[in-house]
Amino acid sequence: MSLCEAEKTFVLHGVEENLRIDGRDREQYRPMELETDVVSHAFGSARLRLANTDVLVAVKIEVDAPFPDRPTEGKLEFFVDCSANATPDFEGRGGEELAAEISNCLSSAYSSSLSFDLTKLCIVKGRKCWKLYVDILILECGGNLFDAISIAVKVALWNTQVPKVRCIDMDGNTVDINVCQDMFECQRLDVENAPVMVTVCKIGDKCIVDPNAAEEQCSVGSVVVAVSGNRLSTVLQTGMGSLHPLTLVECLKMGHKVGKKLDEAVKEILEKSPKGGDVGFLN
Amino acid sequence: MPIDHKRINGPDDTLPYQLFIKLNRQSLSQKYKELVQNGKRHDSRTPLQHRKIFMKTGVVSQAKGSAYIEVEKTKVIVSVFDPREIPNRQDYSLKGEIYCEFKFAPFSCEKRRLHQLDAEEKQYSQMMKKALEATVCRHEFPNFQVDIYALVLHNDGSALSAAITAAGLALSHAGVPMYDLITSVTLGIQKDTILIDPTTKEEQICRAPFVKEQEDNEHGLVVISMIHTHNQVAQFYQTGSISLEKLSHLIETLEKACADIVPVIQQCLVKHVIKTIKKSSNAN
Repeated sequence: MSLCEAEKTFVLHGVEENLRIDGRDREQYRPMELETDVVSHAFGSARLRLANTDVLVAVKIEVDAPFPDRPTEGKLEFFVDCSANATPDFEGRGGEELAAEISNCLSSAYSSSLSFDLTKLCIVKGRKCWKLYVDILILECGGNLFDAISIAVKVALWNTQVPKVRCIDMDGNTVDINVCQDMFECQRLDVENAPVMVTVCKIGDKCIVDPNAAEEQCSVGSVVVAVSGNRLSTVLQTGMGSLHPLTLVECLKMGHKVGKKLDEAVKEILEKSPKGGDVGFLN
Repeated sequence: MPIDHKRINGPDDTLPYQLFIKLNRQSLSQKYKELVQNGKRHDSRTPLQHRKIFMKTGVVSQAKGSAYIEVEKTKVIVSVFDPREIPNRQDYSLKGEIYCEFKFAPFSCEKRRLHQLDAEEKQYSQMMKKALEATVCRHEFPNFQVDIYALVLHNDGSALSAAITAAGLALSHAGVPMYDLITSVTLGIQKDTILIDPTTKEEQICRAPFVKEQEDNEHGLVVISMIHTHNQVAQFYQTGSISLEKLSHLIETLEKACADIVPVIQQCLVKHVIKTIKKSSNAN
């Protein structure tokens, strides 16, 4: 999609007046649709639809050896797949750069132990740990990928069930792990402080969140703010242009405020939803 | 990760032996105490002091423009090549493109780096591209691409910042039209201590918090690139866990630190100009 000058001016004026082209105000998100437990082969999964953006996140767990410089920590890896059915722009290797940017941003946001505790994923210190593969599939692209993906990842991790380890046999160098047989006896991950990302877009003199595809074209620069609890876990400037330091601080303030609200809303929804595990007639 | 089979890659599951040295078994807080003692850092800098910088242009004769930067032990070479037509592109792009490659030499870090770009290097390349895209007048060379290669010879912290600063210098040496000079500074934070231009060791202690339950366990790294006269932030990146108030304060500190480097680049460019004038007058 490409906009002409008149259309761009229309969008810009709307933002000035705090009434955007789809009727939202500057700090408002589009409606979201959230689904969990959608992939039965995964240990945890979530699908999020934010207007026209559709992402599917699935978590797979495998046993691995921890990094020798961090023997008490598990591993967490993100893979983003920008397939060509999301938008034709992703055809061939077109989506690769964006995919790398998103996965780097996610791993940077989750890197601090204050936002996500990896020590819970350790099984035997220095020997065995759980490795979480978080696979992110973009089904449809309608703008604002960072925000949609971060929420979907958070919910997928909340939904993840790590198998309980019953006993461990150590015989010299070989470690035997005995995992619980009961499929309902699982550990949940703590996602209290898992980061939520907010893309703050600068249009004209004002900043907005959750831009749609038309608004994304009008923006000169944007900042992705990852909010974890009350702190910022990652800030990344994206887009072409540059920002004045004061504008940057303003963007951060807005991102922080909206991010906290968004985080609360997500948590509220998750509390309401029934926990998986108590489904089925055997339990 | 695909492996280049035409090179000898060595076994891929080797470890640097330093990991097993006793000194490395220290806890983070011990390392921190060793590095920062009553307001002084281990290399006797104050927390807000940048390391000394040496810069030189024209180090690669084959390239259109090149620069070499030394921030004490951190050493980076950046070369810029002539604009060429964007390969494999059908449609006409109104703005020129910038291709950046940030590479650690295999011997530059404690752990040996492979020849192919890994995830960290790709991330740094993207940030470098972001910083330079905002600085270069891309509308001056439509449908063309400028290639910029940064090679880190020795990494002793703040390598990305050094590379961006040097890339700005190399671009102006190459005569690529730019809005302004670009400078970049890295900053580390651990608890209340701010460390400008951290070394590798200091970067390491800023990556994780000491204690979990305390209130003041802020930590993290911040990289900022500034366009000097227009006072614009061309690139910004933060990781770790920092409160909003602290981060806004850090941005102010970094702004000043970036402005301090500008004269060094200016001097280096003046030297280059004088040299070229002398050369041409001698030839006449």
